[in-house]
Amino acid sequence: MDKECSMYKEHVESGKRKVTLSLTVNGRHVVRDVDPNMTLLHFLRDNLKLIGTKEACGEGECGACTVIMNGKAVTSCIILAVEAEGAQITTVEGLAKDGKLSILQEEFISQDALQCGFCTPGFLMSTRALLDNNPNPTDEEIIEALSGNLCRCTGYIPILKAVKRTIERERKESGF
Amino acid sequence: MISRFTYFKPHNLNEAVQYLEKEENAFVLAGGTDLMILLRRNLINAEHILDIKALPEMDLFNFVDGAGLTIGASVVVNRVVDSEVVSAKYPALHQAAASLASFQLRNRATVVGNICNASPGADLPPALLVYDAVVNITGPQGTRQVPLNEFFTGVKRTVLQRGELVVSVQLPEPGAGDKSVYLRQARLRGHDLATVGIACRLKPDGKVAIGIGAVAPTPKRLFALEDKINERGISKETIEWAAQEIREHIHPITDVRSSAQYRLQIASVLLKRGLLSLIGKEE
Repeated sequence: MDKECSMYKEHVESGKRKVTLSLTVNGRHVVRDVDPNMTLLHFLRDNLKLIGTKEACGEGECGACTVIMNGKAVTSCIILAVEAEGAQITTVEGLAKDGKLSILQEEFISQDALQCGFCTPGFLMSTRALLDNNPNPTDEEIIEALSGNLCRCTGYIPILKAVKRTIERERKESGF
Repeated sequence: MISRFTYFKPHNLNEAVQYLEKEENAFVLAGGTDLMILLRRNLINAEHILDIKALPEMDLFNFVDGAGLTIGASVVVNRVVDSEVVSAKYPALHQAAASLASFQLRNRATVVGNICNASPGADLPPALLVYDAVVNITGPQGTRQVPLNEFFTGVKRTVLQRGELVVSVQLPEPGAGDKSVYLRQARLRGHDLATVGIACRLKPDGKVAIGIGAVAPTPKRLFALEDKINERGISKETIEWAAQEIREHIHPITDVRSSAQYRLQIASVLLKRGLLSLIGKEE
């Protein structure tokens, strides 16, 4: 059991021939040789040291590991790193610009939409992907887009409020 | 994960078939939402992973008047959910697709993967079954077509032979006035496997088709029940009768999600609700 747990936390080399992977992460072009059985999540955390993306269930059920891949919110724990060849990836580290938090992040703080914070990067990325594709979603659409993200301490009402305030502020900033 | 595998992503279908035929313990990867769970739980020992997402045939997703709908093996579920033609012509498929897993998983999970995984409780097969879906398979011996209702052979088992892979699933065009609905019961409103999932279709000639999941080792078309309903003719009275009769046509088991008895009861309720909605009468 201990052995299995340690394998979930970090990648264990498979000994198979590595594959050269080239992709863009948070606007930066990255080329690395990766083990074929490494997940995208472990690639981001172990190789790129982008530890904002979290692992919780490890099976795509909870959404803590959500990143944006080619414009879509996906659970990085059940995607192989090699599947991301040529992809555009955005992680939670890609949201802040020039050391300033994004509106979305600010609103999660202002609405107390987090307590332990472990699920927060996943919620932020699911929301970002939604608003990038649909800047003016209905409540139902917001709830649907966040249906794969679980929060076990705060509850979803403050999160929904934070998302709605983000929509308003982003609309004002874009001049519509 | 314990599996140590090589990863191969061919751009040519022949290469893919040859690889699957040659290599032991080779697994096909499309969305990975089922395969990766098996790998991470160490339930399979994969030595080779074949990623089909670069094969152009697999990306086909189109509707042709007269010929119907073709869904390639790398088409993800959310593409089907967002498709206007699916919503308009295959409502049960739209509803089943929209109820599958969670939003993020639907961005990766594929329609064909949902078939090939052959889970008894999968959401898409009941809806595909009522549209007489046909599975297009390619392999070392060439191509073949298998009706979806003959595709499943048991829990997580299909007719696929070594070296074969599914290229697409094809649905004939429904006639004007065709109606359908997919209903599912789960333990919670969000992300959960269906306790029972049922697709009901009412064709323009008044004949019904019923597909159901999670009540037998495989998703099933209830042909015998359909015949009996069609003999009687669809009406409120027939539907009341069918809601009882369905118990004789399904063989659910008790598992972590539900007792067999509850599945019998909810199948009855869902069938009644589904068929009544199709004839424009609510309960």
